[in-house]
Amino acid sequence: MTEPYECDEVADLLAEVATGAATGPDRDRVARHLADCERCRRELDELSWVADEVLLAAPEHEPPARFESMVLERIAAEDRSPGRRPRRARLLLAAAAAVLIAAVSAGSVWWGTASDRELAAGYRDALDVADGRYFAAAPLNDDDDVQVGHVFLYDGSPSWLFVVLDPAPEPGTYDIVVTVNGAERSAGRCVVTGTGCAAGDTLAGKIADVDSVRLLGPDGTEVRADLSRPNR
Amino acid sequence: MAVSDEALLAGVAAGDTDATAAFVRRYQRRVYGLALSVVGDPGLAEDVAQDAFVRAWRHAGSYDPRRGKASTWLLTITRNAAIDVLRMRRDLPTEPALLVDQLVAGGDQADRVADSDRVRAALAELSRDHAVAVVLSAYFGLTAREISDRMAIPLGTAKSRIRTGLHRLRRMLEVTND
Repeated sequence: MTEPYECDEVADLLAEVATGAATGPDRDRVARHLADCERCRRELDELSWVADEVLLAAPEHEPPARFESMVLERIAAEDRSPGRRPRRARLLLAAAAAVLIAAVSAGSVWWGTASDRELAAGYRDALDVADGRYFAAAPLNDDDDVQVGHVFLYDGSPSWLFVVLDPAPEPGTYDIVVTVNGAERSAGRCVVTGTGCAAGDTLAGKIADVDSVRLLGPDGTEVRADLSRPNR
Repeated sequence: MAVSDEALLAGVAAGDTDATAAFVRRYQRRVYGLALSVVGDPGLAEDVAQDAFVRAWRHAGSYDPRRGKASTWLLTITRNAAIDVLRMRRDLPTEPALLVDQLVAGGDQADRVADSDRVRAALAELSRDHAVAVVLSAYFGLTAREISDRMAIPLGTAKSRIRTGLHRLRRMLEVTND
């Protein structure tokens, strides 16, 4: 249970977290407090809303000529970059994971598409299956930063995560550890059969608060996905 | 009928190039305008604005309409990209009090949108000290400690100005939102 003085202690920091100005240690302090304090979580949500609204006051300006085409060229270049899975394939992977879990709970789920536009509509349909808000996906990397799998997260009722490890760096059993707002919790095990493994678990809370997912394997082997939010 | 921001972002997330182009076209003036307000240099602002759209494209799949409007989500990304650039410089390129004046005045764009005017009106109601503290924190990413040093005020006063400023804005914006 949260002691009242802790709320007083983080009260000023909440405003700085809301504007995005807080330092890492301050943000960490607030995150630890928020894990047990609904009142401050609500306060932070409200202050964050205001801090974001303030940005709407910035005067508009016409960007230089060719701005739009320059942005689109950069995006196209990034989408083609070596080692990057095309956007469409990444989305399908996330959707496939969603369908896998949703099929268990809902009985039947469809996923299939012929075009990117249909894919977008299907994405929204898949989210609707369990009152979902969004998917997140991140690579699982080993100590050498080589990708050895994926983590998928779904924000819905329930929220869940699904890990795919292939190829596993070592055979054996991997403990799945999720860090949410700085607090660790176990999310089951992934037992390697053949070259890899896959496992899923439900998650309490918002997946946007998930910092990382780690798989702890035999002899200290560890693979990790960093899910820190991009805009905070 | 215009496509909603959320539908456009779903298209961006799915890799739809038409949706991505429409999204950039819809928001480029706002994104570039915010970047210019923060970094103060047109060349840098262009880089920041391009970077913001690339980041938005990269993370479009994690946008959650229940947590905020697409416009504020994108502008937050832009602000963060601008601050990344700003941290490599020694001082702020724009005098914060002048920026407050610009924000309140809102420029002369004929097609400016109602949500901007609502926020400008609320900012204009704040005391100058509170408005500057909020702008230093929300636009330039300065901590209360940095604001205290810059404005030569006690740390507690800097913290209080940010917090009180945001609370007062919240009350005014909630009223106009009803």
